[in-house]
Amino acid sequence: MDCTRRSLLISAGAVIFTTGVSQSAFGKKALVGTLEDGDKRYGMVFDETACIGCTACTDACRTVNNVPEGQSRLEIVRSEPMGEYPNVTYQFNRVSCQHCDNAPCVHVCPTGAAYTDAATGIVDVTADKCVGCGYCLAACPYQVRFFHEETKSADKCNFCRDTNLKAGKLPACVESCPTKALVFGDLNDPNSQINKVISSNAVYRDKVTLGTEPKLYKIPDSKGEIQG
Amino acid sequence: MSTFIDAFTFDSLVWDWIIAVYLFLAGMSAGMVMIAIYLKRNVIEGDPAANGIIKATGILAPFGIISGLVILIFHLTKPLSFWKIMIFYNTSSVMSMGVILFQVYMVVLFAWLAVIYKKPISDLLKSLFAGKFSFVSTIIDRVAKFTGALEIFLAILAVLLAAYTGFLLSALKTYPLLNNPALPILFLFSSLSSGAAACLLMGVAYFKQPLSCKSVKWIHHFERPVVLFELFILFTFFSGLIFGGGQKEIAAMAAIGSGFWAIWFWAGVIGLGMLMPLALNTLVPAQARHNSQFIVLVTSLSLIGVLMLRTFILYAGQMTVV
Repeated sequence: MDCTRRSLLISAGAVIFTTGVSQSAFGKKALVGTLEDGDKRYGMVFDETACIGCTACTDACRTVNNVPEGQSRLEIVRSEPMGEYPNVTYQFNRVSCQHCDNAPCVHVCPTGAAYTDAATGIVDVTADKCVGCGYCLAACPYQVRFFHEETKSADKCNFCRDTNLKAGKLPACVESCPTKALVFGDLNDPNSQINKVISSNAVYRDKVTLGTEPKLYKIPDSKGEIQG
Repeated sequence: MSTFIDAFTFDSLVWDWIIAVYLFLAGMSAGMVMIAIYLKRNVIEGDPAANGIIKATGILAPFGIISGLVILIFHLTKPLSFWKIMIFYNTSSVMSMGVILFQVYMVVLFAWLAVIYKKPISDLLKSLFAGKFSFVSTIIDRVAKFTGALEIFLAILAVLLAAYTGFLLSALKTYPLLNNPALPILFLFSSLSSGAAACLLMGVAYFKQPLSCKSVKWIHHFERPVVLFELFILFTFFSGLIFGGGQKEIAAMAAIGSGFWAIWFWAGVIGLGMLMPLALNTLVPAQARHNSQFIVLVTSLSLIGVLMLRTFILYAGQMTVV
């Protein structure tokens, strides 16, 4: 009895020290979870020069993925008006999950409800496992996560993994875009359309300095400074 | 009024004041345990169970950690699913490691307290259940053989717990103010400061531990360097952010430069919670300090200051996004 109790305490302590600290601090594999050796690595390109801000994508996403009214997995943000009347233009930006290869939300999730699907590189949420602590909402530097009003789970874009993609279609936003401002595809396939678009255009990604390795690429608007 | 509402509700806010109360309660529990273990091992002469500060720790340390975790559970969007956090673990998640830490800490804390209060526990069980639970005393006796190791282990767990509340927030890349290596150290010392105040407040005012006794004097001497060091860490914390430039500097200036949270910080955290107790302990004549009303005043100020610090860090921290 003495021995087991004691060894239990010691091993419990050992769990914190070895598994916890060493895995997160020294286990490079765990922290930099790049999926370049995975089967597929789905990514997206958002073309700022093509977007007209119609928000058809936002509506299509809400319908296909049953996102409650007033909440959204993706938003199109319009800039302040640029130029003098009558030559006024706007810039449009897409705010949605960047499907980071090294996703902060996945690292902080205490239950593993936030995870990266190894077969597709898509960052997704197992709603049943989520307890609603909000750690991922805070940890996401792109601030794209929210609590789904009905499921009470953390929610965000999953490239329609369980809806359109599962049915063999393109994500709802890509399908609905009237100006073809969105390109979706496999970054691991050198011949994919997305890789051709990336190699033939100047692209940028948001907050790359954080080391999150986002997979949402953006073709910058032809005027003004890029606010990456 | 609008500034007041704006200060507590903004787009980038995820964790609200309930989390600040939890951080305060967990920190206070850990601080009291660290101090009580030191006193028991090095300062207290005679039976530690009779010492008012140990008694205060025996009540407030479990209360702090248990009530803190209860409010945390009800802060989840799915409170009834809280058990899942104890079934599924993620070694890269600070929160998940904290869950293990909390559970071990509570078990060891109760074991340690059971050894100290073995006699009243056995007496109570005898009078209530007429010997049916005598095995409890046998278990306590067996644990008591390892009291030394148990105490050191509990002290380490308490240090980890106090620092954990800082690591929980410093892991957030999103907020430059929180994503700061000094935060766990700041929270460790603010935890010691609240632990000392809570030990004195309940030990002296409620359990009537005499002011002239060694343990009370030790805490008194301990308080000042802790608060001074805390001030130094706060200075390091914000100068580091300002030297870092960019969003770090913007975050620091938004927090302590101007606005609601700057007033909260300078008047509440620094003025009321740190400088006032320091001044009172230094300037008030010794005779006036030797009464329990004075202790209640000074320790209450310290406790309010620590709660205000945790609230300030949490809210001001979430104001600026990277």
